[in-house]
Amino acid sequence: MSTVLFYILACTALVATGLAITRRNPVHAVIYLVNALFALALIFYLLGAPLVAAWEVIIYAGAIMVLFLFIIMMLELAPAEEPRGPGWLSWGPVLLLSAVLLGAIVLLMAFDPAAAEGVPSWYASPRTFGYVLFKEYALAVEIVSFQLLFAAVGAFYVGRAETPKRAAEAKR
Amino acid sequence: MIVPFAHVLTFAAALFVMGLACVLARRNLIMILIGVEVMLNAVGVVLVGASALWRQVDGQVFVIFLMAMTSAEVSISLAMVVYLRRRKGTINADAFDGMKG
Amino acid sequence: MNPKLLFLIPLLPLLCGAANALCGMRLPRRLAVILAVGGVAAATVLTLVAWPLAAGKGTAAVLYTWLASGPLEVPVAIRFDALSAPMTLMVTFVSTLIHLYATGYMEREEDYARFFALLNLFVFAMLTIVLADNLLLLFLGWEGVGFCSYGLIGFWYREEKNAIAGRKAFIVTRVGDVFFGIALLWLFKLAGTLSVTAINARADAIPAGDLTVLVLLLLAGACGKSAQLPLMTWLPDAMAGPTPVSALIHAATMVTAGVYLLCRLFPLVSLSPAGMGAIASVGALTALYAATSALAQREIKRVLAYSTMSQIGYMFLAVGAGSVTGAMFHLFTHAFFKALLFMGAGCLIHLAGDENDIFKMGGMAKKHRPVFLLFVAGGLCLAGVPLTGGFFSKDLILLAAFEGGHPLYPLLWAVGLVTALLTALYTFRLLYLVFAGEPRGSGEAHRLPASMVWSLYPLAALGLAGGLLNLPPMVGGGEALQELLGPLAGREASASHAVEWILAGLSTLAVATGWLIARSRYRTFSGKPRGALQSFLLAGWQADRLADLLLVRPFGAIARFLWQGVDLSVIDGLLESLARGCRGGGERLRILTTGRLSSYLTAFAWGLVVILGWFLIAIIK
Repeated sequence: MSTVLFYILACTALVATGLAITRRNPVHAVIYLVNALFALALIFYLLGAPLVAAWEVIIYAGAIMVLFLFIIMMLELAPAEEPRGPGWLSWGPVLLLSAVLLGAIVLLMAFDPAAAEGVPSWYASPRTFGYVLFKEYALAVEIVSFQLLFAAVGAFYVGRAETPKRAAEAKR
Repeated sequence: MIVPFAHVLTFAAALFVMGLACVLARRNLIMILIGVEVMLNAVGVVLVGASALWRQVDGQVFVIFLMAMTSAEVSISLAMVVYLRRRKGTINADAFDGMKG
Repeated sequence: MNPKLLFLIPLLPLLCGAANALCGMRLPRRLAVILAVGGVAAATVLTLVAWPLAAGKGTAAVLYTWLASGPLEVPVAIRFDALSAPMTLMVTFVSTLIHLYATGYMEREEDYARFFALLNLFVFAMLTIVLADNLLLLFLGWEGVGFCSYGLIGFWYREEKNAIAGRKAFIVTRVGDVFFGIALLWLFKLAGTLSVTAINARADAIPAGDLTVLVLLLLAGACGKSAQLPLMTWLPDAMAGPTPVSALIHAATMVTAGVYLLCRLFPLVSLSPAGMGAIASVGALTALYAATSALAQREIKRVLAYSTMSQIGYMFLAVGAGSVTGAMFHLFTHAFFKALLFMGAGCLIHLAGDENDIFKMGGMAKKHRPVFLLFVAGGLCLAGVPLTGGFFSKDLILLAAFEGGHPLYPLLWAVGLVTALLTALYTFRLLYLVFAGEPRGSGEAHRLPASMVWSLYPLAALGLAGGLLNLPPMVGGGEALQELLGPLAGREASASHAVEWILAGLSTLAVATGWLIARSRYRTFSGKPRGALQSFLLAGWQADRLADLLLVRPFGAIARFLWQGVDLSVIDGLLESLARGCRGGGERLRILTTGRLSSYLTAFAWGLVVILGWFLIAIIK
């Protein structure tokens, strides 16, 4: 049962991502991506990570993608920001590259004995998760919290409002 | 057993490659950032799958750190996109070719 | 007297020349001139004082060792013996007179310091040649006279033809010098030393084949400096230099250096019969060639130049016939009367208003009587009129030639006799054209400085009385020069008195014939149309054209090919194409730096593919 579910979800995610990356309109792309992220969250749950699945939805789909939407709205991008220019010219080599890369990775995997193992169905309780997180990775947690602070400060600074004085300085 | 690990990895690889394609082929800065997001998610899939394979939580812990870092990164990069839009009036990546030649 | 003082003989002119070169222009003119003349005069006095040292085997003196490397040892050594002492005296004395003449001749010249410096330097180099006891030192002097000759011929270098003449002289004599250099190297290999005395002593140890080739090489070197066939084309053009230069270098000293070299190495040279024959033939043929060319010349100095060539041919003939006495005797008398003639020519050119075409002179006898008489004195010596110095010396040479062992020599004697006739012919032609008849030119006479005239008197006296140097026994003389030279004198002419008288008579006849022909043709002259033969002889049998065709043009063609075909096309082309390739490659590579993010990331990704591929290959193995 889980197997079938996994495959369905995987296909959903792939299709959604595929659609997302090929949309002209960034808003559409973001929406499709949210869709993909939902599927991903469910896969996480299947693979025994309920907490990660929750966070995928809350943080990734809920905060980050929304942030994207905010910015897109704020910038008031015209529907077709990209010119109807080179289609296959830019996609062609990239597709080739992607195919080669994928092929290489798959081949590499074919030679790995560990890869043939089956993923067991298990369940990581939040309790275990929290225990490991705050016991073994406490330092990392602290550092990440610093990082979030830096990010906030940095974002604030980079995105601050432009005054004529700042504009003149930036020009020099 | 849910699924062979190879399949999980293949799925993650496909996702990663798609994200890479998005980064390489699109000119819109926003779309490039979205491609980056996709790639990061693919990495997350690998990590969770591996932690499930070895029945250890450490992979999932890493995923949470990944998400935290991603949110920080996204906030700054979007702030930069806003700034660049203000500077150049466009967010076409090809317009920022000051390093040309 | 300390033998080391002998070194002052060449060094005094060197010091005065250096002083003039370094600060001559800053000194007052009188001082620079006194310095120059004083240097040479002091050398003359010193030679006279040192004369007793030349007795017997002479005196050798060494200053210091110039080079010492392995088996080669070259000391700065001079040898003052019976051969070099008279030569030194002649060189210094004639140089002093010519320096005095030059003070008058160059009185209007701005560049006097350079002139006198070069002149003194030349005397130093010539004295080095004369006195050197080591062939390398001699070669140093040899090159030195070549350089000074170049500098002095092209003294008025602002006119291109003078510079070209100087260059031509230098290059042609250089060809001879190459052969001399080869001979030097070979001689060192065969004899193990470059000392003249040692080589002369060991001359019989050298194998015969090598010896002949060595002699021929030395002959080639001597031909270059002495303007003999085939290296003679530079001498007529060298008349572009000032007249004192022509008098000193191209009459009395540098051109006789070749003869002197052969005389110096005579013990070596005389051992090769083929070599001696070659020397004599070259001398005789050049004498004939030059005499015929002199018949057609129009410029007074060119006549004298060809005449010099011819007389030196006689000296070579004497050496080839084995008579060093004959060669040296003629060398001295020739120095006196040729210097006199050149200096007189300078005076005549001044008097004719800087005109040197004899067809435009005429009736000069009335313009300035002393110059006329002095010049005629020189002319008589040149023609070999009996009882003048020239007559006795030429006669000795012809006697030696007549007596040479091989049947070649009488043939050369006949050539010499014919040349004597031609000599008289062109000499009297010159005298009549310049002095007799009505003035044909229109030049304004320049003032003639006194120093230019009274420096001629001693030379005239020496020329006319020169016979006393070596009066032959048939007129009761003691053959002073022969006695002086002693063992260095070569083969003594040992014909019977009867033969001598007959030969003397024949040469007198030749002279008289020449005079009569000249008298009939040139005494009254009205300007002759030039025939084809005249042009041919005027251009020296077109020797210049021949050299140009055979040597200069092919050389120019090769040089042009190497320049355009090799240097420009191949070497430059290679480098330029290399540079162009680099730039082209760079331009093409530049396309990669688009400045766009996506291209850089794409490159990134391809790199990743490569790395993965490598892992794959590693795993497959």
